[in-house]
Amino acid sequence: MTTYIIRRCLMAVPLLFLISVISFGIMKMAPGDPTALMMDPMIKQENLEAYKESYGLNDSVVVQYGRWLGNMVQGNFGESFIRQGVPVSELITARLPNTLLLMLVSTFIAFVISIPLGVWSATKRNSRQDYAITVVSFLGVATPNFWIGLVLIMVLSVHLGWFPIGGVATYGEPFSVWDRLHHLILPAFVLATADMAGLTRYSRSSMLDVLRQDYIRTAKANGFRQKTVIFKHGLRNALIPIITIFGLMLPSFIGGSVIIESVFAWPGIGLLFMEAAFQRDYPVIMAVVVIAATLVVIGNLLADILYAVFDPRIEY
Amino acid sequence: MFRKRLWLVVTLAMAMLIAACSQPEEAKNIDANAAEKEGAETAGGNLILATTAAPTLFNPYYSTDTSSSTIEGFIFSGLVTVDQDFNPEGDLAESWDFSDDGLKWTFHLRENVKWHDGEPMTADDVVFSYNIPRDPDYVGPRGLPFEIIEEVNKIDDYTVEFVLSEPYAPFITITAQFEVLPKHILGDVPIAELGKHPFNTKEPIGTGPFKFKEWKEGEYIALEANEDYHLGAPKLDGLLYKIVPDTNTLMAQLQVGEISMAGISPEYVGMAQDLESKGMVKLESGPSNAFEYIGYNLRNELFQDKKVRHALTHAIDREAIIEAILGSAGTVAHGPGSPANWAFNPDVPKFEYDIEKAKQLLREAGWKPGPDGILQKDGKKFEFALKTTSANEIRQQIAEVAQQQWAEIGIKTSIEVLEWSAYVEQTSPPNWNFDAMVAGWSIGSDPDPTWFWHTSEIEAGLNYNGYSNPKVDELLSKNTQIADLEERKAVIAEADAIVTEDQPNTFIYYPEGYLAISPKLAGPTFNAANTYYKIHEWYFES
Repeated sequence: MTTYIIRRCLMAVPLLFLISVISFGIMKMAPGDPTALMMDPMIKQENLEAYKESYGLNDSVVVQYGRWLGNMVQGNFGESFIRQGVPVSELITARLPNTLLLMLVSTFIAFVISIPLGVWSATKRNSRQDYAITVVSFLGVATPNFWIGLVLIMVLSVHLGWFPIGGVATYGEPFSVWDRLHHLILPAFVLATADMAGLTRYSRSSMLDVLRQDYIRTAKANGFRQKTVIFKHGLRNALIPIITIFGLMLPSFIGGSVIIESVFAWPGIGLLFMEAAFQRDYPVIMAVVVIAATLVVIGNLLADILYAVFDPRIEY
Repeated sequence: MFRKRLWLVVTLAMAMLIAACSQPEEAKNIDANAAEKEGAETAGGNLILATTAAPTLFNPYYSTDTSSSTIEGFIFSGLVTVDQDFNPEGDLAESWDFSDDGLKWTFHLRENVKWHDGEPMTADDVVFSYNIPRDPDYVGPRGLPFEIIEEVNKIDDYTVEFVLSEPYAPFITITAQFEVLPKHILGDVPIAELGKHPFNTKEPIGTGPFKFKEWKEGEYIALEANEDYHLGAPKLDGLLYKIVPDTNTLMAQLQVGEISMAGISPEYVGMAQDLESKGMVKLESGPSNAFEYIGYNLRNELFQDKKVRHALTHAIDREAIIEAILGSAGTVAHGPGSPANWAFNPDVPKFEYDIEKAKQLLREAGWKPGPDGILQKDGKKFEFALKTTSANEIRQQIAEVAQQQWAEIGIKTSIEVLEWSAYVEQTSPPNWNFDAMVAGWSIGSDPDPTWFWHTSEIEAGLNYNGYSNPKVDELLSKNTQIADLEERKAVIAEADAIVTEDQPNTFIYYPEGYLAISPKLAGPTFNAANTYYKIHEWYFES
């Protein structure tokens, strides 16, 4: 197991390297540069040239990448081109916890709601409840996240006043866990909806598969109660494939957070990434890409390890 | 067993994250003061503003975005500011005078001005600040307004003299508006490193009505009242500048009163009017200092004939555009400039919506309908691409209307919508990669049109069209040398009229600006010149 983990970690290095090369390339291929936002009659081209020169933007892409990579391997993300003089690491540290919190809570919500729904749906196969859940799931898949977010803001926050509109905490209030949660619930729920629908469907079909197995029939034949059969014998095994789904879901959480963070004014790295992308703040873009890629790699590794934990048949 | 432990780990991790996101020291807040003063006629309180774009840094010699310059206006003061009609008004300078040849400007500074750290502000600070962009080591965007300065001299502690290389009327409204920085803090910093100095992002010290308190990354910038402000202590306790990236969310916050004041972009005017009818906001409006247009690339043969450009303009129903796309939040433009500006010339040639006239002009210019209905001349079809940016929905809609209306006179256009940076790169020097573009300009506190139309601005400036007219060049070169306002106005008016007759652009409309204000907030009024004019006198009615 330990050697497996070490091997997987080592394998991640060339993977991350490749991701950084491709991202850097794509980023540089996008037209424009940080000076594109400095459009103003009162700004001279010469001044912009001096700015570009000082940030090495006139060097070849390879040189720029080399410089970035050199700093990167020493753990230095560089300084923002737009927020001049501010280390990128400072921006990341300020924002990453917000994103991680949002992701964790929304993963939690997605699992806590979807798995029971899926299981219930499976046990009541082809019933009216099953169809209802199926319809809602498909609606969930088909509805864009930001739209759900805006509708919930309008209904729950503006009209009913139950939740604050965006932000992470009430300004000027002393820290309180309740206040944090109050701000967190809506964005976390909306982010969760993206995967809830799929997750419900997965756990439903996974549960159905298991319920058809011989050992379930045997358990039933032995006279165990329906509940015991489903939850004790069925669910444990039905959950195993779901763990894989968890690993696959991570990228969509990170991608989805870009939009959700914007709608809910949630100061996470998704929002940072979006700002940086519009401003062509290259060091910030790259830092977020590397961090997001690392998170995905770690998430997948975690899923694989959990897999072995839950399924004794799997050994590494 | 294992699973139980796993949940514990997850829960612990969440608890730690929540704790990590918190900063208990912010507990001491400005609102606490507001509570104490309750019952008084003016309630103090925080002015809450919101922006969709986060600021970058607070140093006027390095920042270029609107959010930053707005906040700089609260923290710092310039020698002069402008009133609500663009007239210069003393700020750090109590008065000023200039020599008859317009080359020597003398500013007499107020003597009671203190930096936020308590140090007195003197002529040394002014000399230091205005020399920053003139330094050969300066790496920043603001070189241009300081180019005409030959010398900045300290006469005594409260008198500064500027010597200009040529008379330059915008000196007072552009250059002298630049905010002054504290020499006692930044004086020893090498100029090359000034742009990256922590002063700009961590601890800006100015002389403005509000002091910097805190910048919570991605969330807000908090300022507090400067009790020693030289024009009088602000009535407000503080100012909170929130970052709300999504306009829909911002409008929702405005609706529930979480924002005290917000500019309303044209797409949201309907929503704001609805809020006004429910008594949730006061809505004020007036002309913005800007114009929107479809610009033609005069390097392209298609657009070199003036008759063709006139025809293109006659074919566009601008009234309908304003009504349908803007919800009437604008007025038809025939020429450049803006009715918000003192130099505006309403008396320029007019180009009414007239399809028949457009067709006739094109016939005169030699364009005949081909077999497919598209105009042809010498075997070449009249077709071109109309570029605009995804950053502006209204411009996209204008492009679609223009496409349809030009199709009616036999001109084929394709629309290319580009992301902002790509759009800027393609259309600006040295690429000028566009046939026609839907765009707009804001004018700034001085109406000098040189930037847009002078031949010297083609190579690297804002004259993207490549427009050149010797008479206009002559007038524009003259305009900035005239100190007398009326005389200068006449010269600008003449140049604007010629530009209008030449129609390098189809001028579409002058946008109307809207400002939604909390019903309790007294002080702000809509004006294109200085939104936060006399902000230290604003207050909330209790």
